[in-house]
Amino acid sequence: MTTLEITDLHVKVKAEPTHPEILRGVNLVVHTGEIHALMGPNGNGKSTLAETIMGNPAYEVTQGDIRIDGQSLLDMPVDARARLGLFLGMQYPAEIAGVTNAEFIRAAINARRADDDQVPIMQFLKELDATMATLEMPEDMADRYLNQGFSGGEKKRNEILQLMMIKPHFALLDEIDSGLDIDALRIVSKGVNSLRGPEFGSLIITHYQRLLDYIVPDFVHVMKDGEIIETGGADLAKELEKTGYEHLKGGVGNA
Amino acid sequence: MPNPMPNTPKIALRRYLANAKDVARTPVTVTADPAVTVSTNVAAPQPTDALEDWLVGGDSAVTTVTIPAHYTGQAVVLTGAAYAGGIVHVIVEAGATVALEERWRTSGEHLGIWVVLDVAADATVNWLTYDAMTSTTALVKRTANLAAHATLNWTTAGFTQASGATLIAANLIGTGAKATVNVGVLAAGKQHVGYVTAMTNDGRQTVGHINQRGVITGHAHLIFNGIGHIIHGARGSDNQQENRVLMLSPHARGDANPILLIDENDVTAGHAASVTRVDERQLYYLMSRGLREDTAKRLVIRGFLEAGLAEITDPALKAELFQTIDETLVNADA
Repeated sequence: MTTLEITDLHVKVKAEPTHPEILRGVNLVVHTGEIHALMGPNGNGKSTLAETIMGNPAYEVTQGDIRIDGQSLLDMPVDARARLGLFLGMQYPAEIAGVTNAEFIRAAINARRADDDQVPIMQFLKELDATMATLEMPEDMADRYLNQGFSGGEKKRNEILQLMMIKPHFALLDEIDSGLDIDALRIVSKGVNSLRGPEFGSLIITHYQRLLDYIVPDFVHVMKDGEIIETGGADLAKELEKTGYEHLKGGVGNA
Repeated sequence: MPNPMPNTPKIALRRYLANAKDVARTPVTVTADPAVTVSTNVAAPQPTDALEDWLVGGDSAVTTVTIPAHYTGQAVVLTGAAYAGGIVHVIVEAGATVALEERWRTSGEHLGIWVVLDVAADATVNWLTYDAMTSTTALVKRTANLAAHATLNWTTAGFTQASGATLIAANLIGTGAKATVNVGVLAAGKQHVGYVTAMTNDGRQTVGHINQRGVITGHAHLIFNGIGHIIHGARGSDNQQENRVLMLSPHARGDANPILLIDENDVTAGHAASVTRVDERQLYYLMSRGLREDTAKRLVIRGFLEAGLAEITDPALKAELFQTIDETLVNADA
């Protein structure tokens, strides 16, 4: 089992040093084998939390720590964190012309392996084909340039393809359901569920209970004003679907 | 009256022309089917500007290569001599289809290379030029003249270590002629590299596209001039150009200058140009999947140049180009 532990995390946007903190003391523990859902209104720090865990250089940790099995990640660049087992399924994946999807995914897998132990090409292609079939992606998407000209739904599916090929310990999925129709949602969920197991944990950011009908979480957290203000089981999401967030207490600033 | 200077905005052509051109007695080596005629020691084409005067001046081997009508044989490969530039006139006769490859790994002081390609009616040419000269300077002129319904797909990989200027001209003379010119350039060290890529629509319903991509490291300076010219009477023609430069170091300098000259109403034309640095969002995305920074940078840069070099299908040449890119970037970081 591997543990991701976030302790008293305070975060600012680096480019806005005089603005107030976006995260104001977040505490969260995710073990592999668990699925956590993070819900809450827009603009309250959910994406900031995911990006900060991953190591987006745009954010600055002003207090607190992020650890995997006791090892602090704060001084690690994004690529080192990725190799340690973190994966962020992004809301807006970058488009990169000239680099094919297959070439990129193979490079990502090989970055985790020793130079004399690179993944054999046939083995890689076989697994890529099988995974794309699971996600009902057309074969030509392997040879298309990375996210270039992909529709919103194709990009989301491509994030899950990378996730399934890379097999990280922890997947942070930032609104992986936005812009997906019901069929795509089912397929994407099938992909995430196929990874469930004792060596995989996930933090799923979503606004909608709908996704959580397909990927049933073990824990649901609600974030507001840069803090986690409520934690419960899968039922909490169903309850919020009816009641909304308004009645929940705010963070320190609103107290 | 002396021939005029060609139009080369922001490029110090006059300074390069002051250098004495290297003696070039060794002609290019031509590898081709027996159906292709090769003659050496022929007369040079008539110069029409000061650069062409310089190129025919002194001692220069002239080679004429004729590809017969309706040819469909193997690729014609022109290889520049180890220590000499030269003049090559390639004639592609009517209805022929040919892949033309031109490779220069030439060294020397001040190289001059002049290539004229005449494409007759209904012929199709896939032209690949690979410039990997190691001379101090190089002045290069390449002109393609297209007759009616001729098609040219032209890719230039500009990977020289020389400073200098390359003038590329595609003249769409006959009705319905079509040309695409892709240029991919890597400039490093203290190189000054200038490209003037001109596409002229002379015939009706002609289509010409220019796509230039350049990557600059170190203290290098790269200038991309794109000149799209639609002549009066070239009705129903299309002229498009894209010039993009990526700067990798704080000391690199890049210019992208699109110039459109349109003397006819019933046409379409457009241009796009940009000079940018490596996209931090792209780097972050690649690195978030575990790629180390140097690998991520190489992928972004390769991807950027790929848009200029996409037509190169020879895997060996592509591998060589990518290796040159990687080595240049490693040296730039050192």
